[in-house]
Amino acid sequence: MVGKIRAGLAFAALAAAFTFSSPVHAQDDMKKDSMKHDQMMQDDKMMRETKTLFTGKFHGKVHKTEGRATVYQEADGKPVLRLKDFKTSNGPDVHVVLVAANAGDAKSLKSDTERIELGKLKGNEGDQNYEIPAGTDLTRFGAVLIYCERFNAVFGVATLDKF
Amino acid sequence: MNTNGKSRVSRKKWVVGVISVPVLVGAWWAFRPEKLFINERVTEAAPFAANSGPQPIYTGKLEGKAHATNGRATIYESTEGKRYLRLSDLTTTNGPDVHVVLARAEDKALQQEIVGGNLDGLELGSLKGNKGDQNYDLPTTADLNQYQAVVIYCERFHAIFGVARLEKF
Repeated sequence: MVGKIRAGLAFAALAAAFTFSSPVHAQDDMKKDSMKHDQMMQDDKMMRETKTLFTGKFHGKVHKTEGRATVYQEADGKPVLRLKDFKTSNGPDVHVVLVAANAGDAKSLKSDTERIELGKLKGNEGDQNYEIPAGTDLTRFGAVLIYCERFNAVFGVATLDKF
Repeated sequence: MNTNGKSRVSRKKWVVGVISVPVLVGAWWAFRPEKLFINERVTEAAPFAANSGPQPIYTGKLEGKAHATNGRATIYESTEGKRYLRLSDLTTTNGPDVHVVLARAEDKALQQEIVGGNLDGLELGSLKGNKGDQNYDLPTTADLNQYQAVVIYCERFHAIFGVARLEKF
């Protein structure tokens, strides 16, 4: 009799455990549509090894600025920043600069703000590429600034998010 | 006397002239006012060889509404014109009858967590999983100028789990 009750209790406990635990497992229904397994992406994968790492849209600060900033990683591992459909004001001594995402909110830079210089802005309109120094930690420098050095004026900023 | 006064005036003019020239040049160098009217257009190619693979044409970040939702929604287009939606790094809540829907970005329903009535949009299928990377084919007729929002939508409870507003890539 005692054995039967024990067995019954054990069964009930097991049933309860199963009911509660199975939805927990189902919760994280991991889904990974690999790019490789997808027929459409297969060609892509073989054609190029360039990866898209980060992207963000430009917003104007001191001057109206628009377009998209995207960081690609080339097959040889070199990161490249590409400005696309880009448009800002023309100006003197304008540079492309990487700063920490939280430093990109202001209209000017503090003198001690850590920054990575990517070069002079090649043109105030159009598509353009800038090499990023090897070893740059893009999780730390998450904002692309269009920055007029002469007047310490941030023309526009794009905050980079994982692509 | 008369000639002296004249020469003093002309000397003053001369001095003003000599000073103003470098000042003007300096001001021009600093402000480059002509740049206000002159654009410099650059058209560099992408930093990789042209390829025949699908290219991203629109992208947007997923933001949570009724449930915390993260990740990115990107629309790719192949050279043959076939388009599909890819959700990458998706995390949302698991739920019953959850679908992926393209909706109009300006639809007022997207501002709410629970839609009164039905969500007007283009059904892309049941959400394949609440986490991870996944692809959804787009109907060839899908007009992406009209439908600029990707919605993770629980049809049973009319709940918007998350929304990504698509912007040109």
